[in-house]
Amino acid sequence: MQQSSGSITVRLFAALREQAGWDQRSWPLTSGANALSVWQALGFGDAIPDGTRVAINQEFESPRQQLQQGDELAFLPPISGG
Amino acid sequence: MASSIPIDVALCSNAFEPLAELQQWPHHQSNAATGIFIGRMRSQGSSAEELEAMQLEHYPGMTERQLQHLASDAAASHGVRAVLIRHRIGRVTPNQTLVLVAVSADRRGPAQRCCQALLEAIKHDAPFWKQEISRSGDRRWIEGNTPL
Repeated sequence: MQQSSGSITVRLFAALREQAGWDQRSWPLTSGANALSVWQALGFGDAIPDGTRVAINQEFESPRQQLQQGDELAFLPPISGG
Repeated sequence: MASSIPIDVALCSNAFEPLAELQQWPHHQSNAATGIFIGRMRSQGSSAEELEAMQLEHYPGMTERQLQHLASDAAASHGVRAVLIRHRIGRVTPNQTLVLVAVSADRRGPAQRCCQALLEAIKHDAPFWKQEISRSGDRRWIEGNTPL
């Protein structure tokens, strides 16, 4: 088991939030964790679906960007603005 | 380097009148060309059902910053003088304005091209999510955008 090294905040929006039944939670940060590994650890599936994007501290990032203590990680389902 | 081009962005939780917003925007009067897009909510949903309303969700903080960022990038790319964005959030009803984009420039080409490019950027890269609410009460999240 990987060692915990602090925590991050995970946020969900729109359809993802409704499917999960929560919008925000604290999540233990393990060494080397990234958005993809958190997605898997949350039980959402093996891969982040096409069109779902990742934001870290409110900036778009790669799902493989390593997370840091205190980060705000958001999973953004396909956008439909304008 | 931060853009010095005036960028005026606001999210509106209540209905707004786009022409009144433009009247109050000084750059509309002071430059030779203004490109404008006004988008209103359709009365029919993506499956042709009659809609009662739409709920527009956003990511507080990120959405505002992303709109500023997209507008600054588009303004710099097209060499325009000022940009205005108004975007609804919350509950919207058919025919209410969803989005207003206005671009002021010294010529029609940059104004129109920047307006179109910025609108497409907003549609694809600004975190908003639409949920259609039909007259029968069904709710459905919309993924992606209508064709250009």
